[in-house]
Order: sequence, then C-alpha cells, then structure tokens
Amino acid sequence: MARVTLNHVTKRYEDVVAVNDMNLEIKDGEFVCLVGPSGCGKSTTMEMVAGLTKPSEGNIHIGDVDVTTLPPKDRGVAMVFQNIALFPHMDVYDNISFGLRLRKYDKEEIDRRVDHASDIVQLEGMLDRMPDEMSGGQRQRVAIARAIVREPDVFLMDEPLANLDAKLRVHMRTELQRLHKELDTTIIYVTHDQAEAMTMSDRIAVLDAGELQQIDPPLVCYNEPANLFVAGFIGSPAMNFAEGKLVPGGFESEHFSVEFDPSQIPGASVGDRVTLGIRPEDVFTTDRIQNLSSATASLDATTDVLEPMGDEIFVYLVLGESAERSMEGETASSNQLLMSVNPDSDIQEDEDVEVVLDRSKVHLFDTASGHALAHGIEELPGSGAGGGPGTEAGTGGRTGADTESQVTEAESDR
Amino acid sequence: MSTDEQSSGPTRESRRSGPLVAITRWMENLGETGFAYLLLTPVFLLLGAIALYPLLRTFELSLYTNIIGTGGPEFVGFDHYVSLLTGESDQWLPGTSQFLWGDVTVDGAFPFVHVQGVFRSALAVTLIFAAVSVFFETLIGFGQALVLDQEFRGRSWVRVAIIIPWAIPIVIQGMIFYLMFHPSTGFATEFLANYGIVAQNNTLNDPASSLLIVTVADIWKTSAFMALLILAGLQSIDRSLYDVAKVAGASRWQQFRLITFPLILPTLGIAILFRTIDAMRIYGLIDSVSSCTVVPSLSCMVVATFGSQRGLASAIAFVTAIIIGIAVLGVIYQQYKEGL
Amino acid sequence: MSGETQTQTQTQTQAQSQSETEQGPLANWTQGVISDPDQRSLLYRALFYAITIFFLVTTLFPFYWLLVLALTPNNLILAGDWDLPFLRPQGFNPQAFVEVFEQIPFHLYVFNSFVLATMTTIIVIIIASLAGYVFGRLEFPGRGPLMLAILMVSYFPPAAFLIPLFEAFTGNPVVAPFIGVELFTPPRLVNTPGAMVLPFSALFLPLSIFILTTFYAQIPDGLEDAARVEGTTRLGALFRVIMPLSAPGVATAAVLTFIAVYNEYFFSSIMALGNEPQQWSPLVGGLLQYQSLYSTEFNLMAAASIVGVLPVVILVVVAQERIVSGLTAGALKE
Repeated sequence: MARVTLNHVTKRYEDVVAVNDMNLEIKDGEFVCLVGPSGCGKSTTMEMVAGLTKPSEGNIHIGDVDVTTLPPKDRGVAMVFQNIALFPHMDVYDNISFGLRLRKYDKEEIDRRVDHASDIVQLEGMLDRMPDEMSGGQRQRVAIARAIVREPDVFLMDEPLANLDAKLRVHMRTELQRLHKELDTTIIYVTHDQAEAMTMSDRIAVLDAGELQQIDPPLVCYNEPANLFVAGFIGSPAMNFAEGKLVPGGFESEHFSVEFDPSQIPGASVGDRVTLGIRPEDVFTTDRIQNLSSATASLDATTDVLEPMGDEIFVYLVLGESAERSMEGETASSNQLLMSVNPDSDIQEDEDVEVVLDRSKVHLFDTASGHALAHGIEELPGSGAGGGPGTEAGTGGRTGADTESQVTEAESDR
Repeated sequence: MSTDEQSSGPTRESRRSGPLVAITRWMENLGETGFAYLLLTPVFLLLGAIALYPLLRTFELSLYTNIIGTGGPEFVGFDHYVSLLTGESDQWLPGTSQFLWGDVTVDGAFPFVHVQGVFRSALAVTLIFAAVSVFFETLIGFGQALVLDQEFRGRSWVRVAIIIPWAIPIVIQGMIFYLMFHPSTGFATEFLANYGIVAQNNTLNDPASSLLIVTVADIWKTSAFMALLILAGLQSIDRSLYDVAKVAGASRWQQFRLITFPLILPTLGIAILFRTIDAMRIYGLIDSVSSCTVVPSLSCMVVATFGSQRGLASAIAFVTAIIIGIAVLGVIYQQYKEGL
Repeated sequence: MSGETQTQTQTQTQAQSQSETEQGPLANWTQGVISDPDQRSLLYRALFYAITIFFLVTTLFPFYWLLVLALTPNNLILAGDWDLPFLRPQGFNPQAFVEVFEQIPFHLYVFNSFVLATMTTIIVIIIASLAGYVFGRLEFPGRGPLMLAILMVSYFPPAAFLIPLFEAFTGNPVVAPFIGVELFTPPRLVNTPGAMVLPFSALFLPLSIFILTTFYAQIPDGLEDAARVEGTTRLGALFRVIMPLSAPGVATAAVLTFIAVYNEYFFSSIMALGNEPQQWSPLVGGLLQYQSLYSTEFNLMAAASIVGVLPVVILVVVAQERIVSGLTAGALKE
C-alpha cells in the first residue's frame, strides 16, 4: 500500500506561510501532478512528503504509516530532483546503487536491481561513466534509475524535466508515462508547467499561495475549473475573462452582454459582480456557428493582431462597435478577446467580424471570491432557436456554491 | 511492487529499534537551530576549555599575588596592573627589562625624540616590532604580489620560492638568523657593523641590534603571507577595467594609481590588521634568535615570569590580550561593514 | 581619470620632444622610453625581471646560507673566513647530515612533530567539518556573532591562555573562574601529546572552519537532499557526499593545519618540559637542544635546520595551489 495522505498540513517559515492547511489524498499507483506558479508551495509540499522539511502542523501518512516525524531515509520514498543531483564523484553504477549500498543489500541483489533499472531507462553499457561525461538526458535517466532501483513506495519528482531542452523534455514526458505504466507506483510530480501536468497525470493538484485550489483529472480541471485561479492557470493560451455583473437578463459587462436566466445560477443573485470566462477555442465567428449546439447572441468586434501557430490561428479581437484599440494592458482584458480559429480561415487583421461564444463552455465566477458559479449556461427560455440544453445539464451541473467541498468530493467519487 | 520485496531487504527502517536508531532519529528530527548547536558542541567544548576558560582564569589569577614557593595566593586586586604602570613590578622582569619606557626628552640631536630605555620596554618593543615589521611586510608583499600577478614563464616556481619562507618553522627561521649573526659563524655582523647598522660585538645580546635582526627575520618570513592576501585582491579586480583605462590612454602608473590601488585598499586594510595582531604575539622568533632578556616582548615577559610570579605574569598576559583585543575589534568592525 | 589630465600629459610630452631633440645619449634614451612604446615595454620588462630576481635572491638566500654552513666543516666555520659578498662552502662535509642524527636523536623530534601535526589535523578537520557544515549550510539565529566569536579566539595571544592551561596540564585542579569551585582534577598532560594537541587544535581550528564553511556552502542543496532521500542522515550526507565533493577544501584545511602545527613554537617549547624526545618534544625541542647543549656545533645546527625544513618545503611545492587558495579564502573570506 502506498497511499499518500496529507492531513491539515501547514508549513510556516518565520514570516510566511508556505503551505496552509493542505489536505491531499493520493491513491496507490496514482500519478499526481502538483502544479502552480513559483512560490505556490508545491515544492515545500513535496519536501514535506520526502521528509526534507518538517511540517509545522498536521501529519503525513505514507501507506498506513505516520511518517510525519520519520527522516527521509525511512519513508520508503525515492526522489528525482530538478537539478538532477547526481553525485559528481561517483560513476553511474555507484550513483544508482547508492541507496542500496547504504541499506547493506548484498552484492548480487544490488547488481540485479541496477541491471534491471538501467534496462528500464536504457542506460546499458554506461554504468562506468562519470556524470560529467554524459548528456543532460542521460543524466536524467541515471537519476530516474537511482529512484527506480530502490523500488520505493512513492516516487517524488521535483520538476525533473525543467533543466532539459524543449525537445528532450517532450520526449522524456512520454518516457515517464511509459515508466509509470510499467512500474505502477505512486508518483507525485511537481511542475510549474501546466502542459506537463495536463499530459502526464491522472489527477492535477493546482496550488496557489500555499493553498490547494483544486484536485481533479486534467480534463475536469480544464473544463470545470473550481475558481478563477485554476481557470486562468490551466490552459494555454489562458482563458478570456470579462468582469461584469448579473442583471435580470443575464451577464453584462462594459463591452458586451450574454443573456441567460440568472436564476439558474445557484449561489448568486442579480446585482452580484461576476466574471465571465471563455476559452479562446470556444469563441467562434458567426460563419462557423453551425457546429454549435447553442451559441450566444453575436458580438461586434474588430480583429487586431493575428498569431498564426500553424495548427491554429490566435486572433486578438477588440470588442465593441466603435472598436477602439486599447493599448493599456490593465484595462485591455475587458474589451479584448482572444479567439482561436482554424488555420485555413481567411480572417484578416483590422477586419470587422461578429463572434459568438459557445454557451456550454461559458464559465461564470464570483468576482470577489473567485469561486466558480457555473460551467455552461442555458438559453433564456423561449428566446432564440432550440439549443441543446442537454449539454450543460450534465457537466454544467457542478456549480460554484460548493467549491469548498469539491476537493473532497473529487477524491471520493473518483 | 515493494510489498512483495520486503524479504530482500529492509524497506522501512522505521521498524528497527535500539538506542543507536533512537539517537539518530532524535538528531534527524531536531530543527535547524537545534541541529546547528548540537554540531557546534565540540567547537564550544574545545574553545571553551582551551580559550575561554584560560582567558577568564588568567584575569582572575592576575588579581592575586602568587609568588612561586612562598605559600598560597593572596588577593591584591588591580595592584599588578598598577605596578606595571608605575614600574614597581619591573624587578620581576628578566634582566633590565621594564614594562613601560623611561623618560622622554626632546632635543636637537638625531633622532630628536629620545626615550630612555625604549628597547628595554616590553610594551615599546612589541609595538615598535609590530609597526615596523608590518610596514615593510606590506611594502614588500605588495611588490611580490605585483610580480606574481603578471603572466610569465616559471611563475608557479617563483610563487613557491616566495611562499617557502612563510611555511618554515619559526624555530628554523630563528636558527637561520641566529647563525647569520652569531659571533663565531656570522658573516653578517662584521659586514653590517662596518656601516654602524648593528653592534660590532655581542650583537645578539645588544637590544637594538637584536630587535632589528628579529624584525628583519620576521619581514623575511611573513612578507609572503601579505603577498598572497594582496595577490588574491589583485586577481579579483576585473581585468576589463584595465582595458578601459588603456583605451582611455592611461599610463601604467596611472592604471595602478587610479584602478589597482583604490580597489585593493579594503583587502590591504584587513590584511594589515591581521598581520598587526599576529605580530604583537611575537615570542618564538625572539626566543630562538636572541633571548627574552635582550628583546623583551609582551609574550616574552609572560613566559619569563610565570615560573616565579604567576599573578604578575597573568596581568601581563591579560594586558597583551586587551591590546590585541582592541585590534581584533578593528577586524570585527571591518567584517561587520562588509556584512558578514 | 579626466581627459584633461591626459591632454596635458600629451602636450608636455610633445613639448619635451621638441626641446630635447639635440641632447646626449642618456637624454635620447630617456626620450625614447617616453615616446616609443616598444622601448618603454622593454624597460618595464627589464625592471620586472630585476625585481623578480631581487625577490628570489632575498627569499632564497637564507636557505643557501644554511647549506653553506651545513657543508662547511665546523672548524672552518669557527675560523670564519667567508669570502664576501659571494658566500660559498669552505670545504665539503656532507657527513654533517649523518651526525645530526647521532648527536641527539633528531629523527625522533621530527617524528614527534609529525605525530602531533597529524593528530591535530585529524581532530581539527573533524570538528571544523561539523562547524563548517553548520555555518555553510544551516540558517539559525546567532550564526554571524558565533562566527565572529570563533574568529576572535584564533587571534588572542597564546600567552593569554598559557598560565591556566599550564596549571591544568601539570595536574592542578581546574577551578571555575571567580567562583572558586574546584571542578575536577585533570590528568597530568605535560610531556604527553595531549598538552600540545589540545591547544594546537583550539588555536588552528578557526582557520579550518572558515575554509570549510566556504567550500561546504558551495555544494548544491539538491545533492544533500538526494543523499538523504536515498538513505543517509544529515550527518551521513555530510561525510558521504559533502566532504568528498569538497575534497580540495578539506585538503587545503588539512595542509594548512599541518604546516601550522609543524611550525608552532610557543606551546611546543613550553609544554614538553625537558625538550626530550621521550616527552613528546617536537622539532622545536630538537633544535633548541642543539642551540643550548651543542652550542658550538654550528654545522649540525644548520644541517638539522635543513632536515627540519625539508618536509614543509616538499609540502609547499606539492600543495602550493591548495595553500594559496586556502590562505586567501580563509583569511579574507571571499
């Protein structure tokens, strides 16, 4: 058994709270990414699981054992570090077998395990090399082999790919997924790169300012972010946000409005300040509306800058009839909208266009607290042609009123 | 996958027990501060026993008269310190040496200020020795550092040659100069006496000549130390500054005056302080070249009296510590300014 | 460095060159040096070599003097007919290097020095490693003041420690200062290695602490964390990973401590009461023995000095990089 459980774990340094009342339950064999901006407490959390840092409050269990006061060596964990941390004065064999030799395993057992581990990470024939004679990717493999060889209950990986070049990083990502499939061990993986978290993990734990924001499978985090922070952090390019308020006819901001029945939004009432979020790929020009089951009324906009990415084009839109381009970054968010369109689109810069939002993908957040209020909004009854209300009946059911309990809920129902 | 492997090795050492494991566990769970002080315990014990305790005890002893062979110690308060200043205690000092110097007169004859018995005074001899030796060591060390700062073939051998005097035992350093000026062997006495630099006869028993010889011996040995410290400072200067200066048309002398010297000054300051502190502890060189009777340094006086008048010896030792302590404060101030 | 000054210098140089065109060879040469960069750098080169040679001669001459004395038979030394200024051995008597060990057991003194230096070095490296780890890698209140306090200790005069230490080492009870309470009676340590190794360790500990602090602080945190996760304690990580990786720093501290002990005079001459090799008297005792008991055997004194100096000379030649880096790092804390 190698469940990892954090109960009310808090870490305080002299004047800062690095991790605040963290509750996490990671199941046996699960690949969980801790993700967040730098300084969010993800590394501190991992160090506490490893035993390198002692929590100020709370306790940590690995399997059935309370490891809160155990030194790192007795926790049955192995760790891969961001700077790889191979011992430069030892060759590959000595590096990989370091932990086993400390535990006084017999020679044959060590040899067998080192062979097996170096097999998995494809390091055959390099066992007598010194770390400084190897490339970055090879060193990373050694570090992983050093972790595998211990056959730990839990793997801890602290941004292990951060120091590799982009191409190698993508390659190692798949290697790590393959490794997880092969070993079937619990892996806790820290990264600041949301793409890494999205592609590899069973569940993502999003952290900010020392607090857990959401822990859910990648697509749930993407489609049903628990709050503004998660919505903005997961996904690249980031979700569009527009601040406004609930009016009897729906949502209204300075530059546009979206009509719906505010009474369908639990936990919010007319007059509340809310933030509307929509991902770039859920914004459409009116000529492509036919794919949509339910679209909002069209908004007037002018295209500003185009960023062709090859597989798609990012279009920066300026909303409003008298489309004045705002150069001030601060206020730009309210009248700017990022849209991604098909690469074969013939959209031009400085073109007047009409766009719609995919109703089922519209997110509403409480501006003050940041909590999600709704994912997907239904049309006003009786207005417009028949949309597909079924889309949001299932997914949009999760609403922001119970964001607090969402974490535990997510743990229990998956 | 670990569950089925438990037989092959101890996967969880938490299940072990025993006193060693308990102690290890306790140490591992100490916070940074607790762990830091635990690891510093040996340092505290050693320095406490060999430095702090003796220093305090020396001060205590200096408040008692304890003439060896005349019964128990007797409390006299600060009498020893007073008698050092009044000259009453000079009777206990070896030979004709004193703690302070005699009358100071000023007249027109060279060197204008005449101090009675300046070479007999432990305090004066120590200060003169420190000032003169450090002055020349700085000068010569600077020169050596400038040489070593250049790129040339055989540089590392020149460096070895310059360091070697620093690395030789004090007793051998003393022996070399003893042999140079000994009346039976020395070639140097006759040579230098012709110019009136050292006394013609009995050179090593002449206070002024001996002090000069001891000072020269110290300069010979310790300039290298200065040179290394200054060299480190020189090599930390950004070389591109010289390129800038060259482009601006500065001559070598201007480069030295406007770049090298100002940038090396802080290093020089701390090096001089360190050396001064060290020079004021002079004992071994005097003992091996000449004798404490001839060249009375403060440390010399402690050694010379501690077999007879232990209280007075302690007082001298503590005065020495205070004088050096003042210089140490200088170092600390420097370090503090640099934000240690 | 204002542009103005330079322009002035240049104008002056030009003015000089106009006025001094028809002068003697010396003036011409000076002129050349001033105006011609090639000649000027030649002059610098010549000056540089002259100064270098001067330094070499002054530092090495005393050793040559020892050699001259050692090789000259003693009766010729006493005759004292040195042909100045070019000193050379009068005769050739390598026998002195054998006699040195026959008059007194000089090798035993050297051996004692080696043992004392080795013991001190081991103690210092272990204790300084712990302290270097603390100061280099841990953050805790009181770190700065503690380091300064330790630095201070190394600069107090040994004379200030001598009297109480001598009393304690001769077997007198240790009394708590100012309270008058007898704490315990230590064993009689004089004439044993302890009477020297203890003060040496305290005296030379701070330098090693500073050197090792600098080196240990440079080891990346990740390596220590990796070792701990792999199965060492914090102390285990120090001895298995941090120390081996700081081998150059440890070597530097060890070499400097060894040399310092080998060269020490104060406690070496006082704590071995009889200057007898059986009483752990080191090199100092041996040479003082020659100075006092065989006060006319000058060739032996010189030969003994050469024998005594050889180990450190070899050490300096072998480890000069370490010594240079250690002295500068330790003393200046760069």
